[in-house]
Amino acid sequence: MWEQSDREIIQEVLNGNKDLFAVLVARYEKPIFNYVYGLVRQRQDAEDLTQEAFVKAFFALRTYKDSFEFSTWMYRIARNVCLDYFRRQKIRSFFSLNTPVGEEEEDELGDFLPEGKDPEEGVLKEELLERVSQAVGQLPLKFREVIVLRYVEELSYEEIARILDVPVGTVKTYLHRAKAKLRELLGEEFS
Amino acid sequence: MEEKLEQYLRHLPKVEPGRSLAPSVMARIAERARPSYRRYKRWVVALAAAALFVLMLTTNLPLTPRLELFGYRTVRLVFCSTVRNPKTVAVAGDFSDWESIPMERVDENCFALTLRLRPGKYEYGFLVDGKWVPDPLSLRAVADGFGSVNSILVVDGDTE
Repeated sequence: MWEQSDREIIQEVLNGNKDLFAVLVARYEKPIFNYVYGLVRQRQDAEDLTQEAFVKAFFALRTYKDSFEFSTWMYRIARNVCLDYFRRQKIRSFFSLNTPVGEEEEDELGDFLPEGKDPEEGVLKEELLERVSQAVGQLPLKFREVIVLRYVEELSYEEIARILDVPVGTVKTYLHRAKAKLRELLGEEFS
Repeated sequence: MEEKLEQYLRHLPKVEPGRSLAPSVMARIAERARPSYRRYKRWVVALAAAALFVLMLTTNLPLTPRLELFGYRTVRLVFCSTVRNPKTVAVAGDFSDWESIPMERVDENCFALTLRLRPGKYEYGFLVDGKWVPDPLSLRAVADGFGSVNSILVVDGDTE
């Protein structure tokens, strides 16, 4: 089935077919939500901020330039919305964002157990995965977001660099330092 | 160990929104795109303020806000004499402990005075060239015990 490209949809929205923007929302709401959630670690806030990011994108659509993928542009907007959120929350030290993992997240973690593995090994992995998730939540924001973008969103270094508006080398440095910090937080098991 | 950490990071949970966000996003967009008032709100407010200011300066409409500090109300008493060109008119009442307060002449037969009173009910009357005269504009009056009557002034407010 033929599917309109992002650019075609954007052009139609700009030409007045505003309802078509819902297609773009449906197309990118999951990765953007996932990214936002990775930063704020609160489901309700993440839903609200994701919606806000799309609303901002809609009203700024005329400023969108073809040199970026729409998804990259959306990540950048979502990032700015999150930064505003943190400013509003007066969270200066991102280390303080150590949100405990709730039951809901524990269920989700359970879904990621590798299939067909030894149950004991599975339990071990589940506990470790939970610890890793918590440790990511303890990272400073700039480290946390490169981890989310690289390993959860599975973006390339180049895409991450465009989203963060930093050189690729900086992304690699952040990732290296983020992983070092994670190993420090996780202790023996990963060092 | 680097590999092990990366393996776990790749398995971090992908969290999805509980519902599709598109309807809520489109509703927010429609709300914010609602035209005119929000966009022109600043201009509408500025124009309304300017119009009010002009009306306050150029008309006698009761547009000037009353300064009601500490529960006081501003009351303007006006007395127009049927006797031509009286020399002095004063007002006295329980609000002044029955001491007479001279009123200002506003034209040949009319005198006025602005008082600041707390809400309540007051008895009063005018002294026209020394003679006690109840307020002809007041609808309520009570006997003063000296064969004449006092007018009743009711000042609206929280206590009335």
